[in-house]
Amino acid sequence: MQTPPRRLERLVGLLIPPVSREVVLGDLHERFASLPRYLADVAAAVPMVIVSRIRRTTDFQVLLMEAFLLYLSFWAAARFWDEAMLADQFGYLRLAIPAAAAVLGLMLRDAYAKPGHRPGWKTIDGPLFGLGMAFLSGSIVAAGNRDLRLPPAVLIYGGGTGLLLTCALRMLFPPVADRPQGASGPAFWLMQAPEPFKLPDRFPPLVKVAAMVAAAGLVGALAIAAALVTLR
Amino acid sequence: MPDRHLLDSLTNLSYTVGVMTKPDSLGQFEQLVMTAILTLRDDAYGVTIHGKVEELARPKAVSLGAVYVTLDRLEDKGFVASWLSEPTAERGGRAKRCYRLEALGERALQESAITARRIWEGIAEIWGKEWAKEWGKRWGKEAG
Repeated sequence: MQTPPRRLERLVGLLIPPVSREVVLGDLHERFASLPRYLADVAAAVPMVIVSRIRRTTDFQVLLMEAFLLYLSFWAAARFWDEAMLADQFGYLRLAIPAAAAVLGLMLRDAYAKPGHRPGWKTIDGPLFGLGMAFLSGSIVAAGNRDLRLPPAVLIYGGGTGLLLTCALRMLFPPVADRPQGASGPAFWLMQAPEPFKLPDRFPPLVKVAAMVAAAGLVGALAIAAALVTLR
Repeated sequence: MPDRHLLDSLTNLSYTVGVMTKPDSLGQFEQLVMTAILTLRDDAYGVTIHGKVEELARPKAVSLGAVYVTLDRLEDKGFVASWLSEPTAERGGRAKRCYRLEALGERALQESAITARRIWEGIAEIWGKEWAKEWGKRWGKEAG
């Protein structure tokens, strides 16, 4: 019986989200007849599996809030560090590029997260991955078109603020993959079920207080800064 | 003041009952996938479902990815349920994800079948009995 090359299978396995990896690799293995057909099957199946997983793990209301907070963070950083760039023709577009990259990073991290209970500190890995994507997009844009490049200070301070705010938001609304559900749980129904606003018990009280203080402080600082800029 | 938990339970119950009494209508591809699961019974998993759907949809080609996406969507809607089987050697020691229709899915499929029959009868009424006979013969030949 012919089987696909083990190295190729391992490589394909890396592309498939962990929750579907075993099943999809098994199906592709069973259908193996020749290498070209195997590659055609991979090309047809893997992107659809990724898209389907993103659809299942993304809570679009929360994602919209995250996108808003990230854009707001970069905008606030630009107001403080390089106000002149906002007057530029593409000023607001330049701010949207790292924010969009960070949102894409958050979506991908959730899709590739292993479902089930995760330790509290793991909440930060999605936003951190998103921040990494934002920095990467900054480097790519800088290499491709210098006019669209964000000043490093705006990228660093905006990214840092965005990281804190998205972490705080994720403590209030944990990613769908972290919510309790069975192997074949109807995720859509669970997403519809009304949930009381409550911080997950797995966070130590000190972390909860620190997150709340950090979020409140940032919102306050942004409000004061906006007021000062308006008055000036 | 009404109990918060009671209100939440009532909200959940009304939502669940609402979903159960009014199942979503099925798209054509969803009908094909659910028919494949129904006919395959205990042997319904990715590869066999894809094979059966290709057979039902011929001459159109069907991609394996489209079947996965549809199975996920049907599971989210509560029409099908899935579980992992034991690993097998022919799959390189990996498990299969098997599917079966849920009661809600059976109802939705029944409604789709009734609608399809009404469409057939409506067309046959206008285009005549000869046309219906000819197509009946063609289907008979295909079924062998």
